[in-house]
Amino acid sequence: MDRGRAVLAAVALAAALALPSAAGPFWTGLVTQMYIFGLLALSVDLLLGHAGLFSLTHASFFAVSAYTVAILQVRYAVPTALAAPAGILAGTLLALLFGLAVRTRGVYFILITIAFGYVVWGVAHRWSSFTGGDNGVTNVPFPALGAAAITSHTQYYYLVLAAVIVCGLGYRVFMRSPFGLGLRGIKASESRMQSLGFRTSAHLYAAFVLSGALASFAGVLYVYYNKFVNPVAASFPVSVEAALMAIVGGTGTIIGPFLGAAVVLGLRNWVSSFFELHAAVMGAVFIATVLWAPQGLVGIAGRLRARFGKAKERTP
Amino acid sequence: MLTSAVLQAINGISLAALLFLLASGFTLSFGLMRVVNMAHGAYYLLGGYIGLTIAEKTGSFALALVGGGAAIIVVGYLIDRFLIRRTGENHLAQVLLTVGVAFVIGDVALAIWGGDNLMVPAPKFLKGAVILPGDVYYPRYRFVLIFLGVAVGVALWLLYKKTQLGAVVRAGVDDREQVNATGINVDRLFVMVSGLASFLAGMAGVAGGAFLTLYPGAEWEILVYALVVVIVGGLGSLEGAMIGALIVGLLDAYGRWLLPEFSYFVLFGPIALLMLFRPRGLFGREY
Amino acid sequence: MNPLFRNVSLSGAAALLAALGMGAAAHAQTGPIKIGVLAPVTGPLATPGKDMVEGMKLYWEQVNYTAGGRKVELVIADTTCNPDQALTQARRLVHQEKVHFMIGPLCGHEGPAVAQVSKETGVPLVMDAAGADTITKWSRTPSVVRTAVSASQIGHPWGEYMYKELGLRNVTFIGQDYTWGHEVTLGAVRSFTALGGKVAKMIWNPIGTKDYGPTIAAIPEDTDGVSAVVVGADRVRLFEAWFNFGMDKKKKIYGGYWLHQDVLPQMDDRAIGLIGNSLNYAAGLQTPENIAFTTAFAKAYKRLPSWFGESAYTAGLWTKTAIDSINGKVEDREAFLKAMRAVSVKAPRGPLKLDAYDNPIQNVYVSRIQKIKHPVLGEVLTNVPVKTYEGVSQFWTWDPKEFLARGPYKR
Repeated sequence: MDRGRAVLAAVALAAALALPSAAGPFWTGLVTQMYIFGLLALSVDLLLGHAGLFSLTHASFFAVSAYTVAILQVRYAVPTALAAPAGILAGTLLALLFGLAVRTRGVYFILITIAFGYVVWGVAHRWSSFTGGDNGVTNVPFPALGAAAITSHTQYYYLVLAAVIVCGLGYRVFMRSPFGLGLRGIKASESRMQSLGFRTSAHLYAAFVLSGALASFAGVLYVYYNKFVNPVAASFPVSVEAALMAIVGGTGTIIGPFLGAAVVLGLRNWVSSFFELHAAVMGAVFIATVLWAPQGLVGIAGRLRARFGKAKERTP
Repeated sequence: MLTSAVLQAINGISLAALLFLLASGFTLSFGLMRVVNMAHGAYYLLGGYIGLTIAEKTGSFALALVGGGAAIIVVGYLIDRFLIRRTGENHLAQVLLTVGVAFVIGDVALAIWGGDNLMVPAPKFLKGAVILPGDVYYPRYRFVLIFLGVAVGVALWLLYKKTQLGAVVRAGVDDREQVNATGINVDRLFVMVSGLASFLAGMAGVAGGAFLTLYPGAEWEILVYALVVVIVGGLGSLEGAMIGALIVGLLDAYGRWLLPEFSYFVLFGPIALLMLFRPRGLFGREY
Repeated sequence: MNPLFRNVSLSGAAALLAALGMGAAAHAQTGPIKIGVLAPVTGPLATPGKDMVEGMKLYWEQVNYTAGGRKVELVIADTTCNPDQALTQARRLVHQEKVHFMIGPLCGHEGPAVAQVSKETGVPLVMDAAGADTITKWSRTPSVVRTAVSASQIGHPWGEYMYKELGLRNVTFIGQDYTWGHEVTLGAVRSFTALGGKVAKMIWNPIGTKDYGPTIAAIPEDTDGVSAVVVGADRVRLFEAWFNFGMDKKKKIYGGYWLHQDVLPQMDDRAIGLIGNSLNYAAGLQTPENIAFTTAFAKAYKRLPSWFGESAYTAGLWTKTAIDSINGKVEDREAFLKAMRAVSVKAPRGPLKLDAYDNPIQNVYVSRIQKIKHPVLGEVLTNVPVKTYEGVSQFWTWDPKEFLARGPYKR
C-alpha cells in the first residue's frame, strides 16, 4: 500500500470512529445501514466483479439468515452465540441449493436467480404461521455474548464497523489467493481456464456458496440493527439495489460496494424528503452509471487521479 | 367439480393469452438482438395508461389498443436507440439499465395517472357474461382476450415462418454474422422487430388493463410472470413463448384453485426445477 | 458577613435561579410543538397516503395550527409503505427533527417497525391506520397508543351481522392473504361460527392477485352468501369479476372490507345497493360532526374522505384535545400519554375513548353503497350506514384476558 492510500485509510478510519459523537444518532443509524448493505453489495460483487455472474437472488440468503436469527432469538430465546451462527448456516445451506444455478451462464443465470428469489419471497410472505407473514418477526434484541451485551445503537455501530473491517480484510486476502485469481481467470475466459484443466463449474459453485455465506452474515447484522424482519428483506428490489450499489461504487473492488451503498441509501433518504419522484431519480442513477460510469465511483476517482497526476507532472 | 375444472382451464388460457402478448415481444427481441429488456413490464403499464386516456377521450376501445401500442413503439424506439444500443451485448448492463428505465417510467406514470387502480373501459358488447351450457356464466371479455392472443400468435407465426422478413429474422436468430454478410440492412430489421415487440407490450397493457386494472407496481407483477413464461419456453423461441404462456397460465389457475396456500411454489418451484434439469427451457438454445 | 445580607443574597440567588429555570421552561413551551407524520406519500399506497396527509392538514388548518397555547408544526415523512424506510424515517423524525411525538403509519406492516423506534427512544407514537391486532394486544409498548382501529375489531361485528341481520348460515369467506386480511376475516369467522354459522369455504388470495376468475369458480354451489375482505387493487378486480361471471344473478356477496369510499370513484352504478363494509367509519354518516367534516373535506379536496382521511383528522383532534388538557407541556411524555388515554373525543366517526389496552372503543358501521346528492360534489357514490354497532371493544363481547390467552388470529 502506498503512502497516500495509507493516509487516506487512516483518515477514513478516524472519521468512522468519530462519527457517532460528531453526527448524532440519526446519522449513526444511517451509516450503520450503509455498512450492512455495503456488505450485502460486496457479497453480490464477489460473483459479479470477480466471476462475472450476475445474481438477483442475494436478498434470499440475507433474509433467510435474518429470519433464522429473529425466530430463534424471539420465539425460542436462543442466545446470540448460537442464533447468529445458525443464521449464517441457514443462509449458506440455501446457497448450496441455489448454487446449482451455476449450471447456466449469462442471461439464463440472471433469470433463474430472479425465479429463485421469488420463491423465497413467496414463502416469507405466505407461510405466515411460521414467518409472521407481512408483519414479520419483531422485537429482536441487541446481540449479547454472555455478559458482554450491546445496549445502544452507538455500540452496535462500532460492532458493525469492526465486522465490516474484518470482512473487508478477509475478502482482500481471499481475492489474492489462487482461488480468487482462478475466478478472475474464469471471468476473463472460461474456455481458456477449462483448457488449462480448471473445473470451472465447481470453482463458480464454491464462489457462489461463499458469496451466499457473506450475504447471510450481512443478514445477521441487519436483523440486529433493524430489530425486525419481514418479507420486504427477501424481495426482488433488495437484490436489485444490492447489485446497483456494487456497480455505482465500482465492481471488482472492496471499497466500491460500500461507496455505492452510501450513495444509494443517502440518495433515497435525502431526495425523498423534498422530491416526490425519488424512484425516478434512483432510476436515473442506474441509467447514468451504466452509460457513463460503468466502473463506478472508484473508476471516476481513478480517472480523476490519472488526470490530476499528469497535470502535476507537467508543472515542473 | 367438472364445471370448476373447465372454468379454471378457461381462466388459465385467458391469462396465458395476455402473457403471450407480452412474452412474445420479449423473447423475439432477445432472440434477434440479444437484448434483455426489463422495462418490458413498464412498457405494458405505460401503454395501458395511454390507451386508457385514449379510450376516455374518444370512447373507442379499438383505437385505445392501437394507440397504446403505437405510443410504445415511439417510447421503445427512443429508449432502444439512445440507451440500450449503447450497452452493446452486455446483458448485465442491459438488465441494470432497463430496470432503471422501468423505475423512471413507473414513477412518471404515477405522477401523471396517480396511484389509483384504473380500469380501461371496454365497450359494452365485450363486457358481461357468456352463458355456457349447464347455466355456467363466463365473462365475454376473456374470450375476446383468448381470441386476441390466438390471432396475434397466428399472425406472428405466419410472419415468422412464411414471409421473407421472417426468414431473415430466423436466420438472424441462428447466425447473425451470416445475415450481416448477405447485405441486408440489419439495423432496419432490428428497429422493426423491436418496434413490434414494443407494440405488443403496449397493446397488452391496454388489453390487460381492461381486465387486471392498471396501478403502480403492475409493471413488476406482470414482468415476473412474463419472465417465467420466457424461461420455461426458452429464450428467443416463439413456440416456447406460446407453450410457456399456456403452462404458466394453467399452473396459476389450477394451483390457486387446488393448493391456494402454495400458489407461489406451484408456479415457481417446478420452474426452478426445470431450470436445473433443462436450463435452456423447453425450446431454448445455446447463446 | 452580615447574616441579613447573606439571607438576601441567598434568596436573591434563589429567585434568580427560579427565574432562569422558569425562563428555560417558558422557552421550551413557547417553541412550536413538532409532530412527525409518517405516511406513504409515494409508492403503492400513495392514494390512501394522500387522504391521510390531507385529513391531517385539514384538521390543523381548522384550528390554526395551535394546541395548548403553542404553535404546531407538522413534519411529514414518506414511508413509501416499506418497513425499512418507515424505520429510518421514524428515526430521522426523532433524532434529526426532534419531534415531540409521531402519528402514523398507514401500512399494517410498518406498524411494528415504527413502534420499535418509539420503544427504543420513548418518543410517543399515536398509531394511525396501521391495524395490526398485536400492537394493542400481545406486543404493547407503553409509549404507543392507537387512535384508529384494530383489524379484528371490525371483523367481529361483521360476523354477527351476517348471522343475525342477513340470516346467513353457510358462508364462503374470501380473504386477503396477509395480516390485516387474516385478522378481519378470522374475527368475523369467530363471531359467525360462535353463533352457529358454518364456513362453506375459505379462499385466501395474496395481495395483487391478478385474476379473480379462479376464486369465483371455486365458490361452492351450496353456499348462501359470500363475505369479501379485500384491499387495494384487488377490490376492483373482484368487483369486475363478480359481475362478468354473472355471479350477481346467482349469489349474494357482502363486503366486510371491500367497497370503501377511496375505491368508489372507480366503480359504477352496479355497486349501488351492495353492502360494502363493516368499518369504524362511513362517509355517509349523518351526524353534525361528520357533516361538518365531510363538507369541509369536499370543499378543500373535491372528494369525500375515506377512513384514512377521517382517521388522520381524528388523530389531529385527539392529540390536540390531549395537548390542550396538559396546557401544551408535550415535553412531559408521561403526561402527554396519560392525557391521550384520559380524554374522550367526539370525532366525525362518533364518540371515542381508549380502553385499558390503548385501543379505541368506537362504533362500527355496516354500510351500503348509495348514490347521494352531495351539496358540494353533486352526485356521488358513498357508504351509507345501515346498522350501527355502538361502543365496540377490540375484544368484542369476550373477556380481554380470555381473548389474549387465545392468541392472535392466524390462518
